Amino acid sequence: MSDVDVAQAVRAWAEPRRLDRAHLERWLALDSYSAAAVLDAVCHLRLRVGQLQGALGMLEEIALVAGTQVSDVLARAPLKRILEGVGPAPARARAFVDELRAMRFPRLGRALERMKAEVAALKLPHTMTVALPKDLGSDELRIEMRVRSAAEFRDSLRTLKEKADGVERILELLGGGNSTQ
Amino acid sequence: MNFELNEIVIEERCRQSALTARVVSRAPATAAVTFATDVRNAVRPAAGAADPFGTGKRRMVVMHRRAPFLMACPAGSSEFACCGYLVLVLASNCPMDCSYCFLQEYLADNPGFQVYANYADAFDELERTRRRAPGRALRVGTGELADSLAFDRMTGISRDLVEFCAARDGLLLELKTKTDEIDNLLTVDPRGRTLVSWTLSPPHVVSSSEKGTAPPAARLAAAGSVLEAGYKVGFHLDPVIAYPGAERDYLALLDDLFDTISPARIAFISLGGLRMTPALRTAARRRHPRDPLLCGEEVLAPDGRYRTFTPLRASLLRALERRIAAASPAIMRYLCMEPPSIHRRVLGHAPAPAAALGAALAER
Repeated sequence: MSDVDVAQAVRAWAEPRRLDRAHLERWLALDSYSAAAVLDAVCHLRLRVGQLQGALGMLEEIALVAGTQVSDVLARAPLKRILEGVGPAPARARAFVDELRAMRFPRLGRALERMKAEVAALKLPHTMTVALPKDLGSDELRIEMRVRSAAEFRDSLRTLKEKADGVERILELLGGGNSTQ
Repeated sequence: MNFELNEIVIEERCRQSALTARVVSRAPATAAVTFATDVRNAVRPAAGAADPFGTGKRRMVVMHRRAPFLMACPAGSSEFACCGYLVLVLASNCPMDCSYCFLQEYLADNPGFQVYANYADAFDELERTRRRAPGRALRVGTGELADSLAFDRMTGISRDLVEFCAARDGLLLELKTKTDEIDNLLTVDPRGRTLVSWTLSPPHVVSSSEKGTAPPAARLAAAGSVLEAGYKVGFHLDPVIAYPGAERDYLALLDDLFDTISPARIAFISLGGLRMTPALRTAARRRHPRDPLLCGEEVLAPDGRYRTFTPLRASLLRALERRIAAASPAIMRYLCMEPPSIHRRVLGHAPAPAAALGAALAER
């Protein structure tokens, strides 16, 4: 496709979906290979407008950090597998956005995985929840217990005390203990 | 350092001032000099400019300051450990262009580079403040809304200021800079009452994000020179940007620092992670779309600012703190705009109250 054809195809996708002007301009400002590759992904996965807006931002940032073009990012194996894979488009669209987020925030993703594994390893009863701070944006751990009687309350406290070492380990990780780099 | 300057606008009432005479006589040939009765438009964003903030940096406005010169540090907040810094506003905006700079948001509505012809009035304010707080050590800096030394070759303000503070007990002047513009400083005796501090960043950050600033080695060499001339020196590793490889680069920077300046002669080192309000982040990314360091792993923190996610930020700050402590446990360290819990995790203790931290810094 020529540059003009790509621009026309992008507009043809954007206009009926009322994509905002700022995102449309950013899409059109990409090199034509990249603009076409984004369009290809959007059509294959049937991305919604909100998903396209998020994906476009992450693609630009991943490309900038890697010193490459958006089309090169879309050609990376994990994304290519999703784009060329089979299965319902909505599920693949979600997987695509998740994979982009993992590429955009690789160290955060690893840190979160590790901490989620630590939380799971606590094996808390279903009446207790350990919630990590959103996006690890703080070092505050929220521990919630749901009780309906004094006995349940005492049981929960005893369980929590038994898990103190594990909770302390998570707090240490939240504060940057054991390198997350 | 030669900073780009396209225009100098002088308020008519300041035509006869000493500052105007110095600025006009030392103006670069490329800068058009004009006089105006009302300079408000010269201070505001240039209409029609693609980058009004950047355009403002290249337009110097010599004017009469009507507001007080002395104010509390705008970074101060009950949320963070605070050092009780007082800001002396002798200029506003900066000819350098760091992609993360908070002035892009703070001065968005008045980006013209202002210098104040009546800056001697600031000395009266300082004197009154000093007399109201007898026995209290005051730490006053000019480097919050502007780089303290960026245009000093043209304005020569630093000499007057250093001499004023040299003659007064209980006053510590802090000049904060990313330049190596120290020629004027070397001509006056500060009598130990002026501290020059440099923001230090690894070469990777300087080349990516600190347009127009002096290279790290030049900043360190300048620090060595002013130290020998009787000034105190301090350093700010702020913002610390957590890109991959940052820990290695910042530790190497600290090694360079301690190779150049004896740790025993460093008054303080401050640390602070990169933080940006959503508005600043938007402005910064719009103005510096090719800076990859603005696309780090920052997330929205509880204080409403984008910060590097906590475990990574704390880990990096702690590694730097350990290297500093290993060089000399006596070097005073503090964190800027970090919450108390990060203070405890990095420094091992709760932050000191603002007054105590400020007094300790003033006495270094």
